Amino acid sequence: MKTATFPLSAGGLTLTRPVGTVLDDIGLAVPRGKISVVIGPNACGKSTLLRCLARLLRPDEGEVLLEGDPIDRQKSKQVARQLAILPQNSTVPEYLRVFDLVARGRTPWQSPLSQWSRGDALAVERALALAGVEAYSLRPLSELSGGQRQRAFIAMILAQDAPILLLDEPTTFLDLPHQIELLDLVRKLNRESAKTVVMVLHDINLAARFADHVFALKDGKIHREGAPGDVITEATMRQIFGLDCLVIPDPLHGCPHVIPR
Amino acid sequence: MRRPTAVTWRCFAFSGRVNPQTLVLTVLTLAILMSVSGLALYFGNYPLTTAEISTILFQQGDETPDIVIWYHRLPRLLVGIGAGAAFGVAGALIQDMLRNPLASPDIVGFSSGAATGALFTVMLTGSSFWVLPGAMVGGVLSAAFVLALAWNKGLSSARLVITGLALSLFLMALVDIMMARLDPLTAADIMKWLVGAFPSPEWGDVVLIFGALIILGPFALWQGFALKSLALGDDIATGLGLNVSTTRLKILFLSVGLTACAVGVAGPLPFVAFAANPIARRLSAASGAGNGSPLLGAAAVGACLTVLADLVCRSLPIGADLPTGVFTAMIGAPLLMWQLTLEIRKGVI
Ligand SMILES: Nc1ncnc2c1ncn2[C@@H]1O[C@H](COP(=O)(O)OP(=O)(O)OP(=O)(O)O)[C@@H](O)[C@H]1O
Ligand SMILES: [Mg+2]
Repeated sequence: MKTATFPLSAGGLTLTRPVGTVLDDIGLAVPRGKISVVIGPNACGKSTLLRCLARLLRPDEGEVLLEGDPIDRQKSKQVARQLAILPQNSTVPEYLRVFDLVARGRTPWQSPLSQWSRGDALAVERALALAGVEAYSLRPLSELSGGQRQRAFIAMILAQDAPILLLDEPTTFLDLPHQIELLDLVRKLNRESAKTVVMVLHDINLAARFADHVFALKDGKIHREGAPGDVITEATMRQIFGLDCLVIPDPLHGCPHVIPR
Repeated sequence: MRRPTAVTWRCFAFSGRVNPQTLVLTVLTLAILMSVSGLALYFGNYPLTTAEISTILFQQGDETPDIVIWYHRLPRLLVGIGAGAAFGVAGALIQDMLRNPLASPDIVGFSSGAATGALFTVMLTGSSFWVLPGAMVGGVLSAAFVLALAWNKGLSSARLVITGLALSLFLMALVDIMMARLDPLTAADIMKWLVGAFPSPEWGDVVLIFGALIILGPFALWQGFALKSLALGDDIATGLGLNVSTTRLKILFLSVGLTACAVGVAGPLPFVAFAANPIARRLSAASGAGNGSPLLGAAAVGACLTVLADLVCRSLPIGADLPTGVFTAMIGAPLLMWQLTLEIRKGVI
């Protein structure tokens, strides 16, 4: 397989909805093997962008390239082996058990005739352990807390074993220690398994701490991108969020730390 | 770690996971089907003992009893099994595809479309030879029509159900108009078939419905794999590599095909397609499976329902002469109400 410079990139992405322009001529290139974080105010188009990147939504104009080739011209199953997405909100059958949900993550590696190979079983075990959901793997989703469910979904896309992970607010429903734990896991996957990660995070300070690269989105446009230290500044915060704040270096991690005034 | 209660099987490159409880329940349903089938062969106007029946089935018997079994009870039983199974699978496919237990072929207008198509060809050609193609065309046309109306950047199941119901009602009116032009005797016969009846099927019908099951069944089971991810919602299914729209079209086509064949041999048989899957699913979900679509279970339950309804229908005193569909409705309608109540409580509707 040839390797493109960027595992995932997009050019001229435009999407219009009755409410207005959601994505406005977005071009971006996701750096390989890095954690990219998309930040921006509510309704600025973060989820929409992620969904376009994962071919869940077809943009009105522009195209998304996965490993250099247009994503919508590749076989969906092949795409799923390279790219896994955790959508922002998902409704799944309540009676489904965590184990069965995670097992579903193996779908792109299976076929109707081979629905449970040894590789599948191993990958599911590994994903359950990594996401820390082993303890309740036999409980139905309806009996879990929001945070437990979220981790079950994380386990599902880990079982998918794709080198690119797109996560839409993976820390929703998690308390602070679990948020850190999850982001540590993402970082571990990134550092040890060389996963390319693109995620949407609401908490700027967490974004600053865990991102290698930040895309700052506002009104469907990428206003700034770059290393956290370059993007997360008092000026950008005012421009993107309209937030009056003080940005100081985080005494523990050295990354920018935003303190709203 | 405690393992899920599933049996893994692997053989060369093939592998799968089966829930033992689902397996047991399917086998149990099949056992019930066998016993009901035995009863269906045993009961009838012409008294026969079990010994006589087995002689007839496995050796050569006397003339009259031979005809009773080989030309009446057996084909009727087999058509009941085949049509019931086809309805069960057709219903399970589309209900699970749309994640809506209300979206079964008889509710969304496929059955009435197939019935209208069949009736139309009978009236045009004056013979029942083209019934099946007529049912097929009618089913596909009504499916296409409902789809075209309900499609708006994707297929919403609520829209599909409502459009389908409207089409069903319209087709009923159309059928009434057509019937008014028939002579009363033919009309009475056709009326019965329209409710769902197979009083004297031929072996050709048996071959036809089982042919359809043998040809379309494997495709349906193949799509059962896609249904597993489709159950997680369109977004996750796409993320897992499923081509959601194409899969939907394939499943719709399979469902319409099975429905049309079943309607062609047995009439619409209300509620069989609707009730089979929820019953099968409830049986397997109650045992903690929740893994994929119980297509085989739905087929077995559908066959059971139909044969049972037909048995009740045949066991009534002579002269009652009611169509089998009346009894499938008698069993199915209360189930529909129960299902609706559940859905309303869950806030789906
Ligand atoms: N299916 C849709 N139909 C119409 N408008 C939509 C649709 N999906 C999103 N939008 C609009 O697009 C805009 C961007 O939505 P999006 O979900 O991408 O925002 P977001 O940045 O992810 O917000 P949040 O931080 O709240 O998750 C919003 O104004 C929203 O109303
Ligand atoms: Mg969002």
